[in-house]
Amino acid sequence: MQKKILVIDDDLNVRDYLVSLFEDNGYDVCVAGNVQQGLEAVKAKKPDLITLDIEMPGEWGPRFYHKLSQDPELKNIPVVVISGLAGYEFAVVKAVASISKPFDRDELLKIVKETLN
Amino acid sequence: MTKQILLIHGDTDNLTVLKNHSWHHNYGICCAVTKKESVLKFKENNWGIIVADPFIGNGDIVQDLLRIKKQTPRVPLLILAAPEKMDKAMDLFSSKAISYLQLPVNPKALNLALMGASKNIALERKIDRYSERIAELHNAQDLLNQLFEEVPCYISVQDKNLRITAANKRFKLDFGGPIGGVCYEVFKHRTTPCSDCPVVATFQDGKSHTIEDIVTSKSGRQYNVLTQTAPIRNELGKITQVMEMSTDITQIRQLQDHLVSLGLMLGSMSHGVKGMLTALDGGIYQLETGIVQADENRVTKAFGQIQQMADKIKKMVLEILYYAKSRELSYELLDIADFAKNVIDSVTPIAKENDIRLDISIPDSLGQIEVDTNWMEAALVNFLENALDACILDANKAHHWIRFCVSKNKEGFISFSVEDNGTGMDAETRNKMFTLFFSSKGSQGTGLGMFIAHRVVRYHGGTIKVESKAGKGSNFTILLPFQKPDNLEDHEIFTRDIDDKERE
Repeated sequence: MQKKILVIDDDLNVRDYLVSLFEDNGYDVCVAGNVQQGLEAVKAKKPDLITLDIEMPGEWGPRFYHKLSQDPELKNIPVVVISGLAGYEFAVVKAVASISKPFDRDELLKIVKETLN
Repeated sequence: MTKQILLIHGDTDNLTVLKNHSWHHNYGICCAVTKKESVLKFKENNWGIIVADPFIGNGDIVQDLLRIKKQTPRVPLLILAAPEKMDKAMDLFSSKAISYLQLPVNPKALNLALMGASKNIALERKIDRYSERIAELHNAQDLLNQLFEEVPCYISVQDKNLRITAANKRFKLDFGGPIGGVCYEVFKHRTTPCSDCPVVATFQDGKSHTIEDIVTSKSGRQYNVLTQTAPIRNELGKITQVMEMSTDITQIRQLQDHLVSLGLMLGSMSHGVKGMLTALDGGIYQLETGIVQADENRVTKAFGQIQQMADKIKKMVLEILYYAKSRELSYELLDIADFAKNVIDSVTPIAKENDIRLDISIPDSLGQIEVDTNWMEAALVNFLENALDACILDANKAHHWIRFCVSKNKEGFISFSVEDNGTGMDAETRNKMFTLFFSSKGSQGTGLGMFIAHRVVRYHGGTIKVESKAGKGSNFTILLPFQKPDNLEDHEIFTRDIDDKERE
């Protein structure tokens, strides 16, 4: 069965990029443009992994992570932070990995693959 | 203390009786029996009380007494006179003497009169001391008033509801005469108190608090201020009011901005650059895989994305160049209608993509305008892009529109109006939107676009009028002169709320 990845990023171009990249590599992908949409999507789709941007309009990424970790059913979903904001690694301490934009796609795919296996 | 009394009396016997009696009562007495002696004594000029018969035997001393009384009006004068001369004495001295005693003098009566004079002196001294103190208090009050009024900062006194109960001259000059107005309305043009209000904090803990902020004057001009608070307590030690003192540090901040601008800008923009590079990388990936997979849709989309990112990067580099290096504007004479059509053409695809209706009004007969094409086009596109973003971000309306109207106004300016029904702005965003590095768009904004657009318009001798309301939409009117300006003045930006009625 295909593994499902939820991409949360406010930049439409970055979302499209990640969708193509993950789909081309055999993953099922869903997207969200902000924290609220991300929370709705994670409950509806139950993804196996989440990629999370940090700075977004309205609530920022660490707030999503905080709300996610409050839910016993969802708190174990692995989160990979992908952000251009310096110092973000301190904001989501339990992320399985933190990747800086612009990222190396092979490195990202390797992290995703290792995490999902 | 013993009073020095000068006793002038021609009758030596009576004088001796009086002198002896007065000694018993601890009055220091000096006597004179003749006019000559009297005149000599007057010269000593240090008498506490003078008791005198103005008509002593060998010549009267009326004029001398009147002169002494004029010179030392505070020295009490008691007049002694024979019964037949009493009326004359009273006519001559009237109220200048405090008491009139008939000769031969009853020592007890004299003593009582002296005691009265003594009390008079003590009272007068007390009154003198009070007067001096009142004068000192008045001086101190004047000084404090002057300090309050003239101190080169904004001072206001506020009650618990943040109502201004007093304000100094400079405050009233720049923010109006708002006694009774609330601080957040007067200072920030807000409808609710600020979350980090230092006055509220001082009311809570009685300590002084400091905050740096941007405030907006009655003319719409913005000031960077450093605000400090101090509690004002009543006699029971309870805080009844709080004083807020704001120092204008705009010039310091502007200097700092210029000094560190490049470094700051790079730091602030690195996030945006990273996002763009990621999206560019994404476009390249889509292009590569689109070609490999022979997916025409993907290739077309990838081209669009790469083109879009190249434009964004170009715009950002132009902005950096503009900010990093002040350059002379390069004016050209352009047909206004052609110029305006070029401007709107550059945003039409994004409007279509996001289903935003564009209402365009560009008459052909507008004539020509002298502008720096690149910069003015970038500035106007920036206003339109902001309108697009405001519509895209607004999830509360089913249909969105942007009106772009170009016209001549009565004052001889050309007007570019950009109106939208997007998210609109609250008063704070509206006041700060032209500030360097202020962005309301999260990761999508650099905080440079509006700052530079404002500068470009200003350097062309133009003005910007902003009307906006959160949840309703915004209307920017950019007024430009037809020719390049000879002298540049610092033009104000005017911002205000739009009435709900106007918008609907």
